[in-house]
Amino acid sequence: MLFNSLHFIFFLPIVILLYYLLAHKYRWILLFIASSYFYSVFYLPYVFILYAVIIIDYVCGLLIENSEGRRRWWWLVISIISNIGLLSYFKYSNFFIDIFNETAPLVHISKHIRNLDIILPIGLSFHTFQSLSYTIEVYRKKQKAEKHIGYFANYVLFFPQMVAGPIERYERLGKELRISQQFTYGNFSHGLRLILYGLFVKMCIADNLAPMVDELYQAPESYYSLSVWMAMIAFAIQIYADFYGYSTVALGAARMLGIHLMDNFKQPYFAKGVQDFWKRWHISLSTWFRDYVFFSLGGSRVKTFRWIINVLFLFAVSGFWHGANYTFIIWGLLHGIAYLLDKGISSILPSRIKQLKVYSIISMLVTFLLVVIIWVFFRAKDLTSSLAIMKQSISYGFEANKHLQVSWIPIAMLGIFVLLEAAIINSRFDNWLASKQISFRWTIYSVLVMCLLLFSGIKSIPFIYFQF
Amino acid sequence: MPLSNLIYEKYFYRQDLKDSDAEMLLQLDSLQYISDALYFAESSNATLANDDTCVLTIAQMIDSLSTDNVVAIDHGAIHAKTYKSLIENIKEDAKVKTLIVTLNMRSFGANWIHSKMETALMKANVMYEQIPPIAKRIKLAFNGFDNQNDQMRGRVMEDHWRHDYIHLPDSFPYKNVRAWDDAVGGGNVLNFKTANGDWDMPRIELSTSYIKTYAFTIDPSSNPRIKDFDEIVEIARRKKLKLIYNLLAENMEYADSLVGETLTNVMKENAQMLVKRYTEKGVLVIDNLSAVPGKDFTEKRWTSEHYTQRGRWTIARNVAIGMSIK
Repeated sequence: MLFNSLHFIFFLPIVILLYYLLAHKYRWILLFIASSYFYSVFYLPYVFILYAVIIIDYVCGLLIENSEGRRRWWWLVISIISNIGLLSYFKYSNFFIDIFNETAPLVHISKHIRNLDIILPIGLSFHTFQSLSYTIEVYRKKQKAEKHIGYFANYVLFFPQMVAGPIERYERLGKELRISQQFTYGNFSHGLRLILYGLFVKMCIADNLAPMVDELYQAPESYYSLSVWMAMIAFAIQIYADFYGYSTVALGAARMLGIHLMDNFKQPYFAKGVQDFWKRWHISLSTWFRDYVFFSLGGSRVKTFRWIINVLFLFAVSGFWHGANYTFIIWGLLHGIAYLLDKGISSILPSRIKQLKVYSIISMLVTFLLVVIIWVFFRAKDLTSSLAIMKQSISYGFEANKHLQVSWIPIAMLGIFVLLEAAIINSRFDNWLASKQISFRWTIYSVLVMCLLLFSGIKSIPFIYFQF
Repeated sequence: MPLSNLIYEKYFYRQDLKDSDAEMLLQLDSLQYISDALYFAESSNATLANDDTCVLTIAQMIDSLSTDNVVAIDHGAIHAKTYKSLIENIKEDAKVKTLIVTLNMRSFGANWIHSKMETALMKANVMYEQIPPIAKRIKLAFNGFDNQNDQMRGRVMEDHWRHDYIHLPDSFPYKNVRAWDDAVGGGNVLNFKTANGDWDMPRIELSTSYIKTYAFTIDPSSNPRIKDFDEIVEIARRKKLKLIYNLLAENMEYADSLVGETLTNVMKENAQMLVKRYTEKGVLVIDNLSAVPGKDFTEKRWTSEHYTQRGRWTIARNVAIGMSIK
């Protein structure tokens, strides 16, 4: 079920009403049914894949806790293989089949393997990673195994965040799900504010920029370089607005049930360096990779060369997590290189320079520019297209004959968005608005509702991160 | 809400009609007051052959043959559900007295019902609903229509191909579209080879296309297009409009020569069912299924209902004759 659907607008109030009417001991049943239904709207059979993930990791969690020594390790390996295996089958099979088919003739193998007819279950990368974090934490003895399968199921299935995160840890979400939440006006109003703002960001910003970006990425060679840059910047804002909007609605929906999800974004385009960017962008995924991959490789306590390799590996894997395409790996690697350069430069520069205001501004601009350029590899359908965009962005456009046509609506919406983001810096929309007077609050609500009614995109652009 | 409706209708509604490919509503708004008959059709109406000397559309041909003033409301790929929503928009004081609804055979099959174009069509359909313009916009923005991605539609189509019943002779070895299509596509059934012994891929692909497009037996109790057309019959009755069902010609000669009479018999049975069902409901059915010979179809490489001028005149003449029956 999409957040920006009439279906969800009816679904959420019903779930909230029943949730608070029910005694706490029965709420897990309601959440389980509601979450299963929420997911089944996408494609019913795939709910059973989620159930399989739940059963495997629930059982593995218990077995890890009750075992000692090598056996613990084996149960963890089974959990990892099951989750990664499932993810690999659905997400990466055809990628590896293509590689085989391309390389087989080079080694004189004449066999051709047909691509599998697979539809990637929405959000599979998110819930397998979330579930996996639980078994790893149990293995590390930082988390007690959950005895109640219903609560564990709801941790994996919890509908506000099941398809695109934030990727929560059991320590946090599991605990929140167990608390007997009482209805409070505060939770309700904060939740509604977040939903309203999230929908505005997704539907008025991301969905209005998407057609422009799509148009240019279909035939970049026809456009003048100024238009190419406009589309590159527009995509950077689109993907942020798309994912940030989704996450904000997720936070709001959960908050209305009394549950606090983690913030997945902290105004990443205000970052002063690539290191800083990754502390602000898709925080739940960055911390997942840091805790479970980077630390497992030795973290920062290894020799410099090994550390560089580890960082590059981490970013490459993170890129591959996003999609089965070389472009995602390159996107990750470029971020890895930028991260290393940033780290190197900031360790050389004297701190008095870093404290200068002008340094902060330049860092912010350079970081934004760098991220915008690297996003090209994320958005383009293949490497050739990525390079075509890069080439077109610096060419004089001899072959170009078109400018992007931009209507006033996305520009106006972007203006409102930038103003609001600048106003809520170091805070969050709901908290920021809560501190304002009632007249101001209702003015903002009215503006956002009016924008949603009149200026939201009507092209039905799916959430970008759903495909991961 | 009324304020936003007012602003929306005045400044943005027309642009959204264009953006959602629903401009037919604007056509209908004006044409219903100046014409006697409306000809609802998909691309068959206006697609011409390269060497046509007559560039009239089918509706214009009917208009020239009939005493009534006939105009077309047409758009590529539309079907009964779109017509139904549009017809609902005909006002009581409209001049129009006759509706000619064109429905091709394949629009009743899974290949068309679950086609990739359906999402765009259902989006446009929202704009034809009898609700305030701002409500239409809300429905569009909040995905209040059948908004499935291509992969999902493909999966549902495949399910139908695997499981839908087709009325075939008992001795026929393939019981569903998937089995039949695989057998033909794999070269196991028809011996299509070129002069130098290679597989004749264009012919094989065209054959499988015919199977996927026409190998189905319409189940009136569950087929969504039947339901839509039944509702059109009711709407026409309620609005006191004469309803003519133009069952379009398919390339039966090609279907027969490529796949054989097993397929054409299935198509004929479906046509008989449609004629019987809608004649009983008081609709004037013009059965053009086999009316146009193979040479009068413009496309030879894929299935379509696009005709040369001779084919279009044949269809138009049959409809005009039907219209003259009181």
